[in-house]
Amino acid sequence: MTHETTATPQDVLRGLASIWLDFETQLNHVGIVKRVFEQRIRLADYHQLLLNHRAQVMNGALWITRAASNIGHEFAELRSRFIRHAAAEHRDYRLLERDYVQSGGEPAALRSHELNIGSEALSAWMFHRASQPNPFDLLGAMYIIEGLGKRVAASWAEHVQAALRLPAEAVSFYLYHAKSDEDHLSQLEEALQSEVLALPGMPAQILKTARVTARLYRLQLEELGSY
Amino acid sequence: MTRSAYITSTGAFLPGEPVPNERMEQYLGAISERRSRLGRFVLRQNGIQTRHYALTPEGVYLHTNAQMAALAIQDALRRSQVDEQKLSFLATATTQGDLLVPGFASSVHGELGLRPMELASFQSVCASSMMAVKSAYLQVLAGEHDCAIACAAEFSSRFFQPAIYTAVERDAQAEESSAELMETEFLRWTLSDGAGAWLLESQANQHRRSLKIEWIDICSYADRFESCMYSGSASNRAAELKPWGHYESPIAASRQGALLLKQDFNLLYRMFPVWAKHYLELIDRRALRPERIDHFLAHYSSHSLRQEIIKLLEKTGAMVPESRWFTNLTSQGNTGAASIFLMLHKLLEERAVEPGQQILCFVPESGRCMIAFMLLTVV
Repeated sequence: MTHETTATPQDVLRGLASIWLDFETQLNHVGIVKRVFEQRIRLADYHQLLLNHRAQVMNGALWITRAASNIGHEFAELRSRFIRHAAAEHRDYRLLERDYVQSGGEPAALRSHELNIGSEALSAWMFHRASQPNPFDLLGAMYIIEGLGKRVAASWAEHVQAALRLPAEAVSFYLYHAKSDEDHLSQLEEALQSEVLALPGMPAQILKTARVTARLYRLQLEELGSY
Repeated sequence: MTRSAYITSTGAFLPGEPVPNERMEQYLGAISERRSRLGRFVLRQNGIQTRHYALTPEGVYLHTNAQMAALAIQDALRRSQVDEQKLSFLATATTQGDLLVPGFASSVHGELGLRPMELASFQSVCASSMMAVKSAYLQVLAGEHDCAIACAAEFSSRFFQPAIYTAVERDAQAEESSAELMETEFLRWTLSDGAGAWLLESQANQHRRSLKIEWIDICSYADRFESCMYSGSASNRAAELKPWGHYESPIAASRQGALLLKQDFNLLYRMFPVWAKHYLELIDRRALRPERIDHFLAHYSSHSLRQEIIKLLEKTGAMVPESRWFTNLTSQGNTGAASIFLMLHKLLEERAVEPGQQILCFVPESGRCMIAFMLLTVV
């Protein structure tokens, strides 16, 4: 996008849709993702996935709250949106822990929540952006991260359950997201209707942050178990 | 003066009478109660109400695939303003010709019996239609030919007969899952027979509408997908791929299930974001304005497309409003490569198209992930 002065919510949405589609496509070729779809995973793979994901989600709550604290009072509505995302992460990490234990994972492993090397990169990036004043470009990051939960996770439930013959209580995180009907693009659209796009450089930064976040999120999945 | 290429006439051939859902098995044959049940489910999904077959319940083959193509071409020529002897280029598209060798275009040329001419034989699945059209289009545009035909014909029902499925050796104890059955059954209840043809010329019709071809865009993503709709190997997984020719005989290949036509649904769903992204990029690359499309011919049931993708495209102003979509699916069925030819033919018969209107054709091919678009302007 070259003309920021005339960026409309639809321009940004289209840019984000494009970034999302690329992301989902590339994700489908990451080892663990491919093997989930082909139902060629083992219980140990699922445990590794849950633990790595949980570590990232726990970390996520921290950068979101930092971002919220850097949002000015004139953008109170948007600050609520960030806080709601932090609440969702809180619930998500509890579900991931439960799935781990219910599927026979070693509870001792839950004492640690070390980030894998991809998650470290993502975390550093998110904190960097979250520390800026009025960091609304993180709406782009949230679009990617929430999208994963709402769309990709949804189709994993069936495959993981089938592959590992697990009861619903051991795939509650994925099942929860499979049922979650929210149209995540609509919510973003609302957020973009505000004065946010008028901030200098913001439309382009939203897309840039989405692109980087998508790449680093994928890196996490590529580096499962690499610390 | 720069040349243009126009579709100046269209032709169609649908064999036999329209066959309603309740009589399909008289033509396709019944394999098992489970498969028949799955079939009824598939019909509810695809919404097809009637289709055509080039074979009869008594096992009579009414035409060869090449004959159907020739009949569609003759139909197009009869409706045109040209003398058939002017035709100098023929491009054909099909999923499976009558013979393994030579190419399908040779068989069609033989059936037509017209003068010696240049040929191009394209074989894939649905997108082979656009390969044939693009080939003819570029020949006309480049000045190689002034009068060309692009056509497609499908005779898929002959490959859906029960004996092909019962020939496959399997462990009597191991019951196939519904997902496994669906790999083959879905296509039996979705694909049917027919042929269509378009005449392309370097000049537009006089006193009749013609369709100027603005551009044709075809792209394969086979670099990142295994085969998704396939026949010729029992498995589409790279590690297990064994071409039918690598067995000791075709009979051995058949016994191992290598000749069945299958659809991998898992893989298919992973193609949707790729296609959606391609479309969004196309909008930018070709400066396409979806709101300006007057007629949208999609060779795909919109109900099958994942709803999230549709919503995503709608919200980003990329969807053509549904009121402008046109389909022949419910009455003429899914005729693979011939579908887009038949769809345009039916559009021109049923709707008044006015000069200046734009028609966008969309042909995805799950085969190994290909996608094609064509933009036409009515002149």
